[in-house]
This record gives sequence, C-alpha cells and structure tokens, in this order.
Amino acid sequence: MIKGYEVVVGLEIHAELNTKTKIYCSCRNSFGLEVNTQVCPICLGMPGTLPTLNEKVVEYAIKMGHALNCSINRICKQDRKNYFYPDLPKSYQISQADIPLCHDGYLDVIMDGGEIKRIGVERIHIEEDAGKLLHSDKFDGSLVDFNRCGVPLIEIVSRPDMRSSAEAKAYLETVRSILKYIDISDCKMQEGSIRCDVNVSVHKPGEPFGTRCEMKNVNSFSAAVRGIDYEANRQIEILEAGGEVVQETRRWDDQKGMSVSMRSKEDAQDYRYFPEPDLLTIVVPEEKVRELKETLPELPNAKIMRYVRDFGLSHSDAAMIVDVVEKSAFFESCIAAGCKSPKLLSNWVLGEISKFMNEGTAISDTKLTPEKLSELIGLIADGKISTAAAKTVFDIIVRENRDIASIIEEKGLAQVSDQTALEAIADSVLAENEKSVSDYKAGKTNALGYLVGQCMKASKGKANPGAMKEIILKKIGG
Amino acid sequence: MELYEYSASELSGMLSKREISSVELTKSVLKRADDTEPKIDAYLRIDPEMSLKMAENADKLIASGEASSRLAGIPVGIKDNISTRGIPTTCASKMLENYVPVFNATVVDKLVSAGCVISGKLNMDEFAMGSSTETSYFKTTKNPFDLSCVPGGSSGGSAAAVSSGSAVVALGSDTGGSIRQPASLCGIVGLKPTYGSVSRYGLVAFASSLDQIGPFGRTVRDVALLQDEIQGRDPMDATSAQRSYTSLFDSIDGNIKGLKIGIPKEYFGKGIKPEVAKSVTDSVERLKSLGAEVMPISLPSTDYALSAYYIIACAEASSNLARFDGVKYGYRAKDCDGLIDMYEKTRSEGFGREVKRRIMLGTFVLSSGYFDAYYKKAKLLQKRIQREFADAFGSVDVIITPTSPSEAFKIGDRISDPLSMYAADICTVTVNIAGLPAVSVPCGYSSEGLPYGMQIIGRKFDEKTVLNTALAHENAFGGFRRPEL
Amino acid sequence: MDIDIRHIAKLSRLKISEDELSGYEKEMASIIAMVESMPEINDELTVDSENVMELRSDDNVGSGYSRDEMLSNAPKTVAGCVVVPKTVD
Repeated sequence: MIKGYEVVVGLEIHAELNTKTKIYCSCRNSFGLEVNTQVCPICLGMPGTLPTLNEKVVEYAIKMGHALNCSINRICKQDRKNYFYPDLPKSYQISQADIPLCHDGYLDVIMDGGEIKRIGVERIHIEEDAGKLLHSDKFDGSLVDFNRCGVPLIEIVSRPDMRSSAEAKAYLETVRSILKYIDISDCKMQEGSIRCDVNVSVHKPGEPFGTRCEMKNVNSFSAAVRGIDYEANRQIEILEAGGEVVQETRRWDDQKGMSVSMRSKEDAQDYRYFPEPDLLTIVVPEEKVRELKETLPELPNAKIMRYVRDFGLSHSDAAMIVDVVEKSAFFESCIAAGCKSPKLLSNWVLGEISKFMNEGTAISDTKLTPEKLSELIGLIADGKISTAAAKTVFDIIVRENRDIASIIEEKGLAQVSDQTALEAIADSVLAENEKSVSDYKAGKTNALGYLVGQCMKASKGKANPGAMKEIILKKIGG
Repeated sequence: MELYEYSASELSGMLSKREISSVELTKSVLKRADDTEPKIDAYLRIDPEMSLKMAENADKLIASGEASSRLAGIPVGIKDNISTRGIPTTCASKMLENYVPVFNATVVDKLVSAGCVISGKLNMDEFAMGSSTETSYFKTTKNPFDLSCVPGGSSGGSAAAVSSGSAVVALGSDTGGSIRQPASLCGIVGLKPTYGSVSRYGLVAFASSLDQIGPFGRTVRDVALLQDEIQGRDPMDATSAQRSYTSLFDSIDGNIKGLKIGIPKEYFGKGIKPEVAKSVTDSVERLKSLGAEVMPISLPSTDYALSAYYIIACAEASSNLARFDGVKYGYRAKDCDGLIDMYEKTRSEGFGREVKRRIMLGTFVLSSGYFDAYYKKAKLLQKRIQREFADAFGSVDVIITPTSPSEAFKIGDRISDPLSMYAADICTVTVNIAGLPAVSVPCGYSSEGLPYGMQIIGRKFDEKTVLNTALAHENAFGGFRRPEL
Repeated sequence: MDIDIRHIAKLSRLKISEDELSGYEKEMASIIAMVESMPEINDELTVDSENVMELRSDDNVGSGYSRDEMLSNAPKTVAGCVVVPKTVD
C-alpha cells in the first residue's frame, strides 16, 4: 500500500529457450556470435521460404506449463502477428493468439517472511524472437543484426495478482529459478535471454481496478522493481491531483529512473492476427504430455520446503542454496554421499563454496568432490578436527586431489579430544595464569575466553575448543 | 518435324535411346524461342549458355546410364515466382527486378537432380495476381492462338511457352486457377495438384493455404511425367503431405469404364458462355460413350466461392507481401525521409496497382473490427465448400466443369475492371478453396479458333483418376492443336 | 460501406496519392459489395485436428550460408549489417 492505494501488477515474461536450433529453421541458436552469421534464407524471411517448427520448443513450453500448473492445449495452432519493423524480416512474428500451448496455471511464491503468495498464470505461448538494431551517434542510420531472429521464446503471462514490487520481484525470481531447474533457458538478463513487460495499475482497496499502463524495455529484475514503484507513484500522484490515468504503453528508462509514453490506446497497433497458413495444427500426443510431466525434476519451491523439513535448514539458507542449481546439486550429492550434518554442510556451501563460486569458479572446475566434503564435515561433527583446521584442509582439497587423512597427518591438524591430555594442558595453563583465574572468579567472565584461548595456543590449535572450555569451567568452578 | 514439336514422352524415349542429344533438343527449343519470343513474350529471361551447359551435363548423365528420370535432358520452363539459385526470380515485379535467390525451390532442386534443362524463367502476372499477365511489370505475354488476346494468367508465360513450342513442358503455380485458366486459353494441359502434394518451398507465396506448383504440357502424359518428378513430401514444407506417391505416368491408360462423372449445374449457367458449356457437355458425352456414367450433382455454395477466395487469398497475401519493405532484398526507394517514409515509398513504387489493391483488401479484412465479418466468415464458407465436395465425391469419381467461362479475351479489355477480371476465375477458385486436384484439357475451339478448356476435378490425392479421365478425353477428342504462328 | 482507404494504406505501409484515392475507393467498394453477398454462418472456427504437422528435430544444426551470401541482395550494408534509416526505439 502506498498512500492508501493498492498497487496491482501483472507481468509478461519473455524467456529465450536454450534449444540447439532456432524455432523455425536449423540455424544455430546461440548468443554473441559475429553479426549476421547465424542466419539463413528462412530466418531472414527470403521470398519463398517456409517455417518448420522445432519439436523441442513445444516440449520445453509444455514442461514450463507443467511447472506452472497449467492446463495444456495439446491441440493448438500458431498465428501471425503483423507489424513492420526492420528487425522483423517477414514483417510478421509467428506467435500464438487465441489458443496458447499452456493456460490457466499458477505459481506459489514464497515471500521473504516465509508466507506463500499464489500468482495466477494466464497463459504460456511459443513465438520467435526478432533481431537487434544497433545505433551509433556517429552514423546516420541504424544497423540491423538478424542473428537473434527466430530464437525460440516462450511468453509467460501472469494474472494481475501481484500487489507490490516485492511480490513481482519474488515472482520473477521464482520463474527464473524454475526455468533454470527444468533447464529450458539460460536466463541471462544481460544477454537479454529473459525480459519482461510490466502492467501496473493502482486503486483504493474495495474499489475496482484502476486503468493500467504497460511498461516495456524492463531489462532486469531490479529495474522491474524500480519501474513498478515509479509507475505506481506516478499514477497515485495523478489521481491525488484529481487527474485520470490514461491507458498507454510506456517505455522504462532505467538510467534516468523514469518512464516515458510510447503510444496511447488510441494509436495502439492493429496486429491483424490470423492463423499461420504455412504451419498445420500442432498435436501433441497425450502420452507425450504425461511423460513431460512425469520427467519434470523437483522444482525449487518444493526443494526449499524439503530442505527445511528434512534437513532442518532455515528457510533463507535453503532458498539461497536452491537459488543456484549447482549449489543445490552439490548439496544433495553430499547428502547422498552420507554427509552427517546437513546444517554444517549448508554453512560450507553458503560459505566457502559460495566464496569461490562468486569469484567465477564453478564447483566442477575444482577438485572438490561430495565424498571429500562429506568426510571433512564428518570429522568436524565428530570433533576430530577444528573448523579452522578444516578450512586449511578445504583449501587444499579444492586445489588438489589428496587424501584428507594424509593432509591432517602432514599438517598435524588432528584435534585433541582426549580428556587426560586436555586436562594436562588446562592444568599447566591455569597454573601460569593465576591472575586471570582470580579475575574470572571476581566476575570478569571474559577471562574465560582468554584462558581457553591460551589452552588452544598451548595445544597448537589442536585441542577441541568445546571440550577445553568445559574442562576449564569445571576446574575454576564456573 | 522439328525436335521442339515432340512431346516430352516421345523425347524421353529418343533421349534414352540416344537417338538425339539433350544439346540438340535444347538448341531446337532455344531456336524456337528466338523465333516466337518477339511475338509471344513468354519469357522474362533466357540464358542459352546456362541451358546448353545443363544440356551437356544431361547428355553425360544419360551416357553414363545413371539417369534415373524420364525427364533427363528435357527443357523445362519455370514460372518466375519459383526460386532459382543464381538466376533472378522477379515475380514479374519491379520490387524484385534485381533479386537473385541464394537457394533453389525444392521443385527446382528435384528437376536439376533429375537432369532437366532449365529453358528460362517465364512471365506471369505480378506476384501471381491476375488472370492475363497484364499486371506483369515487364511485359504482357500474347496468346499464341491470337496475338491480340491474353494467354490467361497468372501463369500465362508458362502456358504460352508450352503452347508455342519455346518450352517442352513448364512449371506454373495455381492459387485460384493460375495454371488451369491459362492452360485452357492456350489450348494445352495444366494440372493443379492436390494441396500438399508438391512442395511450396521456394515458391514466392501469394496465398500460402491455396498456392500449389503444378505442371503444363501439350499432352496429358507430359503433365503426368512432370508431376511425377515434382510431387512428394518435403521436410522443408510443413504443409506438404506425408504419404506414398506413385508414378502417374505409369498408372494411367485411358480406360474409364465404370467411371462416375458428376456434372454440377452451378458451373453451366449464369456467366458461362454457352459455346464453352456446350463443348464441355459434348466432351462428357464422348466420355459416356467410352463407358463412363454421368450424373447431375449440386455444389450449392459455388456462388460464394469467389468471395471466400478473394478474402482468404488477399488476407494471406497482405501478410506474405509485407516482407517486401526495402530492408533485406529487392527494391528500396531513393531519397527517403525516415523509416516509415522508406517503407511507404518503397512499397508504393515497387508494387503495381493490382498488388496494392489486393494488399489493401487483405489488410482491411483482417483489421480490427472486420475480422469476423470477412475473414472468419470466408473460412467458415471454405469449410462448407469442402464438405459439399466431400459429399459429392461420395457418389462420383470426378467432377467436370468448364475451366474458364470464355475463351481468351482481348488484351486491355478487362484490366481496368477488377471484378470482370476476377470473374475469369469463377470455375477454378472452388478447387483451391477445397484443396483438390484438377486438370484443364482442351475440349473445343471458338469460331475464331481460340481454345476452350474442360476442368476435371478429383478427390484429394487422386491425381491418377483425374489424369486418367483427361487421357481418355484426349484420346477421344484428339491431341494438342498447334497454333499458327 | 465506406472504407477508410487512408487508414488501410497506412496499415499496409503504402502511400496513396490524392489522384489515386478515388479509384481505389471505387474498386475496393465494388469488391467489398461482392464479398458482402456471403451468407451468414453461425459457427465458430475450430482448430483443424485432421491436418497434423510433423515437427522438426532439434538435432540437425547449421544453415551453411555465409554472411556475404545472405546479404547479397540487401540494398545497403555496412560492417556486415543491413542499414536502415535511423529508428528511434
């Protein structure tokens, strides 16, 4: 709620699919190659060429439909959306109009506080991407790179079920996470492989929805948040000043942090949709639809809830692990390898492993294996090695394929938990630090930490700090 | 008799027995074109050097014993809306005057690998929109039977070339009658195959759901030979039919005993010249005497077919021709003030009047608020027409009608009145709307010696019965009558 | 019925001059008059489930065309790109 207004948000997400070939021709579907080298007569719309539909595009879209709890139109068609623009070689985009491949689903989004918000999904349809226009101030004209023409897209249209930019962000992140888990999109915002259009309206609770504005050119999730907040405030200001919001399409300028009007409802484009005559009916066999559902991997939300339930992780830790497919895969491999403490494991994944991953190193780039990490965590859990020592070992097993026991042996890292040995250390430390002992007895409790620290030092770091502390307490009568 | 005068079936035998060479045959056809082109204007482009090179290769192929096609070494003319790699493909439009495809249409690839010789690219109505070749940006082709008359269209160049002997056989395309009507007007045989039986890959689209490439020949057997070569499933064309295709040439014998022929009364009344109707009914009588059974049938929605056709065809055309925008290929207007101006100038200068009219009609019927009243209604009518044909084919094997309501009309007579021009397609458009195969065969001549044509329509993918009936007729009526030139 | 030829021309990206306008209006009106004789049909368009399409496998990658070939028909190119008048977007 902003100034007594409720914000209503709907999102259209375009995600590029990571198929090998384009949607209607055999050109390679890849990003970043030299301009106009991934084109053929078909995706360049040369006269007489015809489209053939890539079967993987249909499969991927249905997978996403299942993931978002949609009904599947296993009998559907494609339509032409007609408009002129230099990046659209045929001057029409092959898309789906009245019969999308998937429709009427929903997505449960877990908000930061852990509460669940259900967002309706109106439809998911398949279509082709357009090329790119390159501009330069030095040059009097625009340049067209057609490489992206025909890259397969799914468009996921939500219902206007979000009530804040935070909900929109959570929805976007969950959708992205699902796309990655079912491995149908690379979801690289900076490469434009996932983009969204945002619909925003505001109204007073209890009153009907306000007039909505559509915002295009939203190129990141954080831009979506900024754009929604800006747009909601803009509309509220208009209403507060006694004005009326006009239905229009606006363009978000993230650098300036504002949107500008692109076109009003009156000059809305007339796309003249009609069934694509170059393609026949898409009929997906029922068994195929079922098989795609059955082979769907565990989805991120279910995974988060399982980690909380089965492993006792906090919701936010579970969410952070699940957010990155490689982290959660490694986490689960460690569990499968017999890791004794999922909580410790979680700390390591989110700590040391995340540290090197953030620097751009993948787990698979290192020598680290689930078995090694599980063994190491087992040693910590059993008190055989201190956390500090474990980090030393970790740094080695990330770089080298070495036996943990031999590292501990070589570096003398084994932790001493033997009661008699520890008591001997305690006795000598206490004898040498009478001042601290009396301080402690006088109520200066931080003297305890000093004493334990001295014991650790005397043991060259090998003493089990927990056991050491207990012994000291017992001896000085805590 | 000169070599160009023989039929493809005869030439095929002479070539395979090596009584003649493809080079000799090609030279004869090229020489004939030299003689006739100044009068007929059937071709937009002839490249003798290329044709003779192809002929030399064909002779080598035949000599090596590896020629697998009966058409090896035979010159074939190609309508200029069918893509030929390295050879301009203009659709008879200023828009594509300098366009050179980088790929072959599937049918061209098939002909090339069969060892055929391309005799040249043939004139047509601009983007196949027209019934006379008068909308060609470059020239109007003349009817070999009367040089003051049109050859029909849109494949008028193909029909006139085959009729006058400057091609042995030719490829055309048929969206609403563009093969059958010019075949009829030029006194030859032209087949519009079942939608989906010949790949459209490389055919510059007019109306994707109606377009079909098909053969022209002076005899039914020649048409069968060429159709055998081009038919078949093509993975590049999603609308091409997955089925087994058998040789038509080998399966027709002209025996029509027991054949059931339906005569739809709607095709013999209003708008059809009585002499044309009579020549068709006379021909049907001849077929009856050969053992066919004839019965009247009714196709009640015929009256609306032309309307449904123009809506569907123009709607698709408005979208198909939107790609000609001056960006990637083809004409671009000079001195443009911004992007929109470049689009508008390019398209206004690059397209002719008939094309612009159809683009606008198509844009209109698809535009917001009109879709249901026009496009949707036309598609529903299409379903009804398809059902009526399916019902009729429950009791008959073929349906016979005139091909064109009249013989060839004078050049200039109809070009300024679109409706009278569209009326030329009245008997043929239903077949495209229904996706059926139909052939036009010559069946009579006017007092001035201009040919009349008869249309034989068959069940989906039953080209065999269609051509077999045509062969029976050809045997009884007499073969091709050469125009005096 | 009146057809707004100017609007239709704009949608079609065609420029119709003043002197062409009335000619097109007359012709379009006569075609539309013919077309309007179509009977009413109270039915809905359905997806044609008889004409099923075979889909293309994703496994065969590559087009085999060079950039030069693909741009060989372009009216204007610079640095491997097609050039168009400046766009705002």
